[in-house]
Amino acid sequence: MPLLQASAVSKRFGGITALSRAEFHAEAGEVHALLGENGAGKSTFIQILSGALRADEGDIRLRGEPYRAANPSAAQAAGVAAVFQELSLVPDLTVEQNIWFRHERLTPLGTVRARALRDQTRALFQRFRFPPIRPDQEVRRLALADRQIVEVAKALSRDPSVLILDEATSSLAPQETEWLLGLARQLAESGKLVIYISHRIPEVRQVADRITVFRNGATVAVHDTAGVSDDEIIAEMLGRRMDRLYPPRVATATERIALKVRNLAVGDRVAGVDLDLREGEVLGIGGLQGHGQRELFQGLFGIGRAKGTIELWGQPMTMRGPRQALTGRDGLALVPEDRRGQGLLLSKTVRENLTLAVIPRFANFGWLNARRERALYEEMIAFLRIKAKTPEQPAGTLSGGNQQKVIFGKMLLTEARVLLLFDPTRGVDVGTKGEIFQLMRDLAAKGYAILFYSSDLPELVHVADRVAVMRNGTIAAVLEGAAISEDGILRAAMFQSGQVH
Amino acid sequence: MTTAGAGPAESGVAAQTPAGGEWRARLIDRAPFLVACAMLIALVAIYASFRDDVLTLEELNIDAAAAMTLLLAATGQTIVLIRGGIDLSIGGMISFGTVLAATQFGDQWTTTLGWTIAILAIGFGVGGINGLIISVLRLQPFLVTLATWSILSGASLLVLPIDGGSLPAAWMAFGSGSFLGLSSAVWILIVLFLFWLWFRDTRLGVTIRATGSNEKSAYLSGVSITFINVAAYGLSGLFAAIAALYLTTQTGAGSPTIGKDYILPSVAAAVIGGISLFGGRGGLSGTIIGAFILTIIGNLVFVLSVSGYWQPIVSGVILLIAVLASSLAERSARRRIN
Repeated sequence: MPLLQASAVSKRFGGITALSRAEFHAEAGEVHALLGENGAGKSTFIQILSGALRADEGDIRLRGEPYRAANPSAAQAAGVAAVFQELSLVPDLTVEQNIWFRHERLTPLGTVRARALRDQTRALFQRFRFPPIRPDQEVRRLALADRQIVEVAKALSRDPSVLILDEATSSLAPQETEWLLGLARQLAESGKLVIYISHRIPEVRQVADRITVFRNGATVAVHDTAGVSDDEIIAEMLGRRMDRLYPPRVATATERIALKVRNLAVGDRVAGVDLDLREGEVLGIGGLQGHGQRELFQGLFGIGRAKGTIELWGQPMTMRGPRQALTGRDGLALVPEDRRGQGLLLSKTVRENLTLAVIPRFANFGWLNARRERALYEEMIAFLRIKAKTPEQPAGTLSGGNQQKVIFGKMLLTEARVLLLFDPTRGVDVGTKGEIFQLMRDLAAKGYAILFYSSDLPELVHVADRVAVMRNGTIAAVLEGAAISEDGILRAAMFQSGQVH
Repeated sequence: MTTAGAGPAESGVAAQTPAGGEWRARLIDRAPFLVACAMLIALVAIYASFRDDVLTLEELNIDAAAAMTLLLAATGQTIVLIRGGIDLSIGGMISFGTVLAATQFGDQWTTTLGWTIAILAIGFGVGGINGLIISVLRLQPFLVTLATWSILSGASLLVLPIDGGSLPAAWMAFGSGSFLGLSSAVWILIVLFLFWLWFRDTRLGVTIRATGSNEKSAYLSGVSITFINVAAYGLSGLFAAIAALYLTTQTGAGSPTIGKDYILPSVAAAVIGGISLFGGRGGLSGTIIGAFILTIIGNLVFVLSVSGYWQPIVSGVILLIAVLASSLAERSARRRIN
């Protein structure tokens, strides 16, 4: 008997059908991948499993018993734990308080046993060989990757029989990803069910026994991982054959330097960075996570405390904030890491988000010209093929890939021709990923200069003309031509640490 | 196949703050509270330079009594602020509590006891209703508690249109009484502090803080937001009722309008003590410091024999300094992460 049987599960939000008679059957002792484009209904499905949403129709059984979690605590009590894409950690509590939140051991006075909290956390970390994280740090001080790891610890603290990992590796460095994949296998071998959701097909291949594919809210296929090809899976996700994920790389770089950086230091995380980004070039930034890539991008955009020389199109620039950095054709524009927090105003409309940064382009003496604004946003919606019902749809209701397109549109409207893209495909479905890569190459061909960081190595290898690898806050190597490979990037990133395998 | 031990990632180590920076970071985190302590010490020092008998037990007894109503009201406010909300209705509840006490207590100690319990229950009940309305109807705490403040103010005027009424002599004696050389206010202060040491580590205390820090995360972790709101606003109402009862031991009368004097000062005391209006951060020790700061400013204005209007001016400046300290700590925390 399958551990989890979900039959004919449906869920509607207003007029939108998120799930329509979806099927999902999984056994104890397997890692079962759930794949689909953004908007295919995966998130809705796992939110139903984990008690954050209620299904409208359908029959879900856990160990043969009807299962209907009214809220997250009911799901936890039934042994279903989820590591959400949107993190469920409380920033002002410490790592250990978060892990054991709401099932702490108490003293007779009803207060939390601090000692037990520490001991239990140590034991949990040891048992599953967690990367080192201090248990007494407040979560708000942790980097995104560490928060993700704490989230995993929190789910494991309930000793669940069903563990759901939703894009849990999206912010992890390669080694941490390996660790998590190993953990998923370990859990499956001890008789648990791990439901694994990821856009990264190589990871799914490595870890999953079986794959269920969702499309448009319904189940379209179930496979044994060994018996199916990547192309088949992608075709099933998209409902059409994908030509190619990565566009052909045509060298379009000229000799003209668009962005010249000399001896840049940002805070105490980045020092001595020299970079030349040429017109028409996609320059990749690689390296292990936390080696200054984020600070470099922020420093260039004028958010961090940057020191050093930056020249844009030959003009020295001083940056006091995003406003200066954004301005006009000689400026630069950033796609930030945290699109929901930094890039988009989720409750505002697609139109407002697109044109917010460029109000002067359609304003006369403070009066907004609606017609000129419409020309701008309609151009972007068409150019980027943003799937919104109307420009007045709130940005927060779009799928992840379309939200990312809105950010691209906002950035392109500034007319800046030096683009800083920080992990622009994180949490974006495979179809939109392909479109974004094509867009990057198209823009490069038009003379844009693009600085591109990705946490996904193959993206750097296949999209960038050159890759600058960062280590300990500075550029450790710049790879060109045939030297650009996953192996080469990792070697350069880890050279000094003696960890090359 | 990989094993779970394959890669305890070194990047996990790289992302950590080094030990020295860690110590500094924690200091900066405590900065709002430390700044409040420094301001209190400075004020006491100035005060002591004008009068000889400032650093005595007697002065502590007097100041504790002067600060106690505000501090009790601010204790409830602190819980709600940590929850990430605000409670304006405490002004109405304080007025309502004093007029009920001044009109209903009578001479029988049983009646007094009965009405004391009733006033506390009303406080918790009204607060609980605030919490219920906020969560079930999903309304702004500011507006909901503004409305209940208005309702309670009107109810107070219906019970007792002008200041007056009377309290039993024994009741008043408690307010001015002392035990082991410490006034009842100092004893209440001690109990309040012990209460906080206990409460903040209870599951409810941790959960209120967690919900204030990030409501969605708390919900996903299985917290009932409705329950937390009822508990936090209920406790705030309860403390407002206690504040009202204490106030009557000092004034010996009921007043249908006196509560409004405690609404914004209760928020100010908490904020001066380093409690974030965004929720999740701060503790009662800060609020205690804040309440004493506001009280001693009043004393200072008195000994300097300048116009009483200077009191809100100085309070405002102190509030600005406190807010600045919190904001600097916040900014520095954000810089460390990015």
